[in-house]
Amino acid sequence: MRTPRRLHLVASLLAIGVTVAACSSDDDSADPSEPGAEAVVIEITEEGGQITPLGETVKVDLGREIRLVVDSDAADELHVHSEPEQSFDVKAANDQEFSFTIDAPGTYEVESHELGVVVVKLQVS
Amino acid sequence: MRHDSTQVFAHGVGGRSDLPIPAEYAFAAAVAALVVSFAVLALAWRSSRFRGDAAGRPVARPIAAVVDSKLARGLVVALALTLAAWVSMAALFGADSLVNPTFGAVYALLWVGLVPAALLFGPIYRLCNPLRWLHRGVCLVARIDPAAGVTSYPARLGLLPAALLLLAFVWLELVDPPVATDLTWVRLWFAVVGVVLLLGATVYGDAWFENADPFEVYSSLVARLSPYGRKSDGTLVVRNPLDNLDGIPPRPGLVGVVSVLLGSTAFDSFRESSRWLRFSQQYSDDATLLNSFTLIGCCLIVLVTFIGASVLVGGIGHARRRDLPNLFAHSLVPIVVGYIVAHYLSFFVSTGITTLQQLGDPLSQGWTLTSWAYRLDKYAVYDHPTALAVAKVVAIVVGHVLGVIAAHDRAVRLLPRSRALVGQLPMLVLMVAYTLTGLWLLFSS
Repeated sequence: MRTPRRLHLVASLLAIGVTVAACSSDDDSADPSEPGAEAVVIEITEEGGQITPLGETVKVDLGREIRLVVDSDAADELHVHSEPEQSFDVKAANDQEFSFTIDAPGTYEVESHELGVVVVKLQVS
Repeated sequence: MRHDSTQVFAHGVGGRSDLPIPAEYAFAAAVAALVVSFAVLALAWRSSRFRGDAAGRPVARPIAAVVDSKLARGLVVALALTLAAWVSMAALFGADSLVNPTFGAVYALLWVGLVPAALLFGPIYRLCNPLRWLHRGVCLVARIDPAAGVTSYPARLGLLPAALLLLAFVWLELVDPPVATDLTWVRLWFAVVGVVLLLGATVYGDAWFENADPFEVYSSLVARLSPYGRKSDGTLVVRNPLDNLDGIPPRPGLVGVVSVLLGSTAFDSFRESSRWLRFSQQYSDDATLLNSFTLIGCCLIVLVTFIGASVLVGGIGHARRRDLPNLFAHSLVPIVVGYIVAHYLSFFVSTGITTLQQLGDPLSQGWTLTSWAYRLDKYAVYDHPTALAVAKVVAIVVGHVLGVIAAHDRAVRLLPRSRALVGQLPMLVLMVAYTLTGLWLLFSS
């Protein structure tokens, strides 16, 4: 049985829901993606078969330069699962730099080929 | 050809995948789910409205004639069996690499695709089930009735075999990417399950398929959310999906089936999270074992919490209390479907397109039989993250609302009037918890 009072209550509840939802979507995190912004630097250390970071998430603005700075004591290959896929040869050396950009929104994993682990997840948006 | 398909499976193995849904979407959806839940509890009807298989209007006679015609059904079956044979050929004779269409055909077209197929066309997998046709063919040759087995299927087992085989499938798919994308494992899985299903059908007759075939059981459950159904005399009807859902027979094992479906999808979200990646990569040498336990754990959490909430409903006497989980399990189906849509939408589109392309070259000979599929952009679905996030959130909230309504209607039917409202509280709270967990997983991935 639906009485007018009940309908009124439904309407008010829905209105509350909509209002809360509307308010919450106002505060878009407005970060000015200024051109020529600095690169996002990710430091990667590989030592004795251990790599850091190990599955960290890194947020990156669309199209911003991503720079991997790698210290390693062994040869490895870093795969960025973007399209087309990018792959960097790591040598046993310090301060090796690899730069790239990703122009399409999504989540991409950077993987160590030798160790078979996810080093970082890039959230590009 | 570009071998960008080295990482076909966005899930876990890398490749482009979804961004998390924005916090404000998750929050808005959570608020909507809460408000609607308690609105249903407080304001909805007090005596059951849904009529299950008795509901529905017969469809216009010419349409029913076409749908029921041997020709139309034969064409659909022929198409499905051809596709199954084509994929089997690729699985048996194609290259053991990710360019083989078998993986996409199994994990995207079959496993995820059966959901939209069932929503749009009803229990179509049952009609096309290749194993049913194989069994029928053998019976025809041997001149035995496919429905007759050595003995009749024990009703107390219900959907238990399907629940176990579904768990076996999600294990294959989710527990370890190198397993999921190793052709040997996939062949072995289908060989073993095929033998189990055919042997079972020999013993119990073809009733075995509707209780044990994981894909048929899944498809037939989801088909209960489609607007079509049949009356007990076979008349094709159009009916309210909620009436349709109400007609799911409460069988033993039903709660197990929905627990595996919901738990495994949650596990798939969870294992992609940074938190889990850091933990599992750091502390475990044996990712397969760890993931196996976690997958089973996720399914068990759903099972135990659902049984717990159902038993708390109470109010119908001790003898029937143990029937309660299966009497309410149908109401989880929309929540499962909503969550699966949210979780697999982009994967289905992008991997589906890749698979269509690969199906043109099943034996890795460089054929391009499906050259039209190369005109589809498999990444387009990721290029509109806002639309994708909205679609996911809407799917979750709609699934939640339908689930809550279905549970409410069942509660007011089963429980005495005095207990109807209080009795459904545990179930409502649990559904809210499932939905909020789902949103949290999509938000924090």
